[in-house]
Amino acid sequence: MHWLYLAIAVAFEITVALSAGKAEGFTNRKWTAATLISGALATFALSKALLTFNVGVGYALWTSVAGVGITLLGALLFGQRLSWGKGIGILAVIGGVVGLQLSGGA
Amino acid sequence: MSANNQSSARSWLMLLLAGAFEIVYALAVGGSEGFTVPTWSLVGIVFFLLTLWALSMALRTIDVGIGYAVWAGIGAVGAAVLGPVFFDETLTFVQYLWLGLIIAGVVWLKLADRPSAAEETVDQPRQAQAVGV
Repeated sequence: MHWLYLAIAVAFEITVALSAGKAEGFTNRKWTAATLISGALATFALSKALLTFNVGVGYALWTSVAGVGITLLGALLFGQRLSWGKGIGILAVIGGVVGLQLSGGA
Repeated sequence: MSANNQSSARSWLMLLLAGAFEIVYALAVGGSEGFTVPTWSLVGIVFFLLTLWALSMALRTIDVGIGYAVWAGIGAVGAAVLGPVFFDETLTFVQYLWLGLIIAGVVWLKLADRPSAAEETVDQPRQAQAVGV
């Protein structure tokens, strides 16, 4: 069940970013609503998943899968070109977040 | 070209702001103890809205993949750095290395985000098209 919650949290996190990209600084009402609703649902599903997952592991999985999905869908749906430079930077940041989460503390 | 730089600078400012709001949001949610403390719950909701608004402003010109990574990266750095300040946590040497990687990646992305003239002409319908070169 916690894997299902995590998958749902990832799906809504991807929706948050893509909707926020369409919401034009909250001037587009439909996409603004989609951003806020999916944001609330992503938070809810993640909190459910983290009841079972180790927090660091669950959060690391969530951010990394969402980050890669968002980048790929941004390229596919919005035609945002992926370059080596962008890809390396995105992997470095997301890799850093994953490493931080897995190396204890939080 | 200068108009493009200006709008890019504004978008990056918004993205940094979204990251900062996200940190406050995370702290407030932690303090709200499962949304049972009214004041922290209210702060959490307000910063939830502010965070997504600032992200949406930033994504007007920044690619969504870059925007998301930077936003999440700043949130993670903030949580890690503020943990020892507010809670009884310490950062290990390895964690400092990961923090360094995130910050280096964010700076790298800021530099990589400057679209080259060649890229703009190849790019299809995009915000960058509005820029006269």
